[in-house]
Amino acid sequence: MALETNRRTFLSFAALSVLGVVTAGSLAGCGTKGALNASAASASVLPKYIPLKGATPDLAGTAEGVPAAFFNYPAKPFRAVPAPFLKGQKITAITNIFGPPPTPAASNPAWQEINKRLGGTVDITAVSSDDYDTKLNTVIAGGDMPDLMLNDGAAIADIIGFLESACQDLTPFLAGDKSKDYPNLANIPQAFWKPAVQNGKLYGIPIPRGMTGGSGFINQTFFEAAGVTDTSTIKNADDYLALAKQLTGANRWALGSTKFGLIPFEHIFHVPYNWTMKSGKLVKDIETPEYLEMVSFVQKLYAAGCFAPGSEGWTKSQMSNAFISGQVAQIYDGLPAFGKPGGYQQTVPAANPANKVAAFIPFSATGGKATVWLDNIDFAWTMVKKGSADHIKQVLQVANFLAAPFGSEEYLLMNYGAEGTDYTRDGKGNPIPTPAAALNTAVPWKYLAAGPNTLYSPQFPDAIKVLHDAYSKLVPIGVPDPTVGLFSPTNAKQGLTIAKPVSDAVTNFIAGRGSLKDVKSAISTWKSAGGDTIRAEFQKALSGATASPSPSA
Amino acid sequence: MPRTRRKNRSVESARPAWMEKPSRLGITGKAVVVTLICVATIYPFLTVLSTSLSDSTDIANANGLVLFPLHPTFAAYETIFSGGIVTAALVRSMLITVIGTLCSLAATVGMAYGLSRRDLAFGKIILLTALFTMLFTPGIIPSFLMVKQLGLLGSYAALVLPTLISAFNLVVVRSFFMGLPQELFEAARIDGAGDFRILVKIVLPLSKGVLAVVGLFYAVAYWNAFFNAMLYLNSDQWPLSMILRQYVLLGSPLDTASVGEISAPSQAIQMAVVVISVIPILLVYPFLQKYFTKGVLTGAVKG
Repeated sequence: MALETNRRTFLSFAALSVLGVVTAGSLAGCGTKGALNASAASASVLPKYIPLKGATPDLAGTAEGVPAAFFNYPAKPFRAVPAPFLKGQKITAITNIFGPPPTPAASNPAWQEINKRLGGTVDITAVSSDDYDTKLNTVIAGGDMPDLMLNDGAAIADIIGFLESACQDLTPFLAGDKSKDYPNLANIPQAFWKPAVQNGKLYGIPIPRGMTGGSGFINQTFFEAAGVTDTSTIKNADDYLALAKQLTGANRWALGSTKFGLIPFEHIFHVPYNWTMKSGKLVKDIETPEYLEMVSFVQKLYAAGCFAPGSEGWTKSQMSNAFISGQVAQIYDGLPAFGKPGGYQQTVPAANPANKVAAFIPFSATGGKATVWLDNIDFAWTMVKKGSADHIKQVLQVANFLAAPFGSEEYLLMNYGAEGTDYTRDGKGNPIPTPAAALNTAVPWKYLAAGPNTLYSPQFPDAIKVLHDAYSKLVPIGVPDPTVGLFSPTNAKQGLTIAKPVSDAVTNFIAGRGSLKDVKSAISTWKSAGGDTIRAEFQKALSGATASPSPSA
Repeated sequence: MPRTRRKNRSVESARPAWMEKPSRLGITGKAVVVTLICVATIYPFLTVLSTSLSDSTDIANANGLVLFPLHPTFAAYETIFSGGIVTAALVRSMLITVIGTLCSLAATVGMAYGLSRRDLAFGKIILLTALFTMLFTPGIIPSFLMVKQLGLLGSYAALVLPTLISAFNLVVVRSFFMGLPQELFEAARIDGAGDFRILVKIVLPLSKGVLAVVGLFYAVAYWNAFFNAMLYLNSDQWPLSMILRQYVLLGSPLDTASVGEISAPSQAIQMAVVVISVIPILLVYPFLQKYFTKGVLTGAVKG
């Protein structure tokens, strides 16, 4: 990793801005991980990756983002933050909450212990994920911003303007070797910091995920019965079509996902992730010939009756139920849906013990190397309000505490609560939650800052092996979005609106209600309705980001 | 006999169609239609209740909606009520509803009484100002700034004070007061009563109906309100509507790559939430339905 950092640093000092743009594009098009590192300016502001000497995983992670896996929680958790540091201060924060609110601090032993270890308090405004945009914008307009603010990507329209005027540039505090002051933050590989680089500066603390959301799941039992044990070995699209027909029949269908679950097919057909660079110019995914090939192929699958009737209109719950009950053989859902409590590894065999689930590892429609998207690098990243250097250091120390990795005492406290009240340990040291744990551990610490993603499930070690294997295969073939970390005002304002007619035309075409000509026409309209403007804005941002490397590099 | 039958037939045919003795076919047809309507009405409720009492395997096998729970369990209800968060929120919601409704009623009655007096100085301007809020509601940010300036952030008063008087309810009550006989007011004044005594001793006893209507409007609004709670309160102060909404939102579909980020609860929990939120209304509404109708008519007929 150190070698990689040096290479980036060299590139930034060389200030090969034009080369940087070309490299980004070409690598993105090739679908290699190198494109993640393409922007020399971005690399120069990233914190140096210094792996922590903590718990030893059963299956190792990688610096490029494959999560480490543990079959058991370390018997002797280590202390990741040696002493309290807040000196009675209060740090404020606003973030998402995805469930009922936690037990208040006054009657929550884990929360009290965390405050004790911090030496102060973190006053969290927890907001329902559906209302977060409204609340954050209102709080910002109110002028009384908290120290830490989750940026979930959709909340603030003029994010660059807001970051520059109200948020702290963290580059002077974290870039390069400065990260060693915050060992838990330095333990996060650089790939996860990249989305927090905006306009050439580091503006956030990442909440890492597994790099890719994957390519969905298959009912392995059905696929094996059809003679396929490894989907990555399927030779081409025609073979897959034959397989899908074989999987369909007797009130069962090969496919059935919300909006036809196009993403796995985009992987198969090498459709770029959002944008790609071709000859120095940004090209949107829908503009590529691969996209039209993909759409045409899915239409063939639909015409062959391989999709469950009406499945394009299914909700996520309907899709999951159809997969769990064995009604469909393949769905598109994110990899995290596999190993979590109540995930597919649990529910599919529970519904029918004969059925096994596996991650779908894509093949290449034309033969050769497959691709997947790096679409789940971070959950989001957290902005820090501007303040004095001393105050910013305190806030970063809080983030460092929250980023305590798996295997630490702090991680146990934040995720499993207080021993005795919220969990007991089994013979191997694994925390077994008590009924009180659900609400006591609902404090959204992990949506403010977190350590590297980890795979852990003592009850289902096989599921962990399957997931680790999937990540190990998928992350190296991941294709990044070259516009990650760039801002286009037009995209923020109307990107979704002008993309809707294209997705409608695609849905109509696949369902036999429209033609490919309609899809092409919708894509042309997208360009004139704002697509070309978005391209120009991203292009400008891209050249700006690479042309002016940060002096702090 | 034939004559009598003919006579009877002519008498029968003189009746309107709906007074004829229905034929067997007619009865059967009506029974079928009524049964279908009943099934269409009861089916969703039964499905919601059954799903809330089912385990995840039964729900998956029934593709999401269970008609009869094969393995009934109260696990979903236990999950929701464990930890005391929902119970505490229930108490908060009841207090907010009761106190908010009383405050709103007092303020509305006071203002409506004043505005119903024809001799009130600037009465028309005050009324128009109140009516203006029906057409132009304040935006989220101005409201937030106002609440913040008043120091009400994080206070339950923030749920009551900004919505203390509804212009619609004000108009309804004012119209009712204006419809009361003026002679009563004049007689009371001759007897030496002031406005407060007239309001308490004469107007309010005659206005029980409209007060029930408006009180119901306010109570339902306070019970269901969640947006202001989201905006002004911390999560440990949330009322029941916010907490239950959190459970329901957990199952909402996510179309991003991080789909599955959230540990979505079983549909049983979502359905249990629907049952819990419907019960109070089901208990109260049948007894108060007539007041709803009356309230709408009061507002519709009088200007």
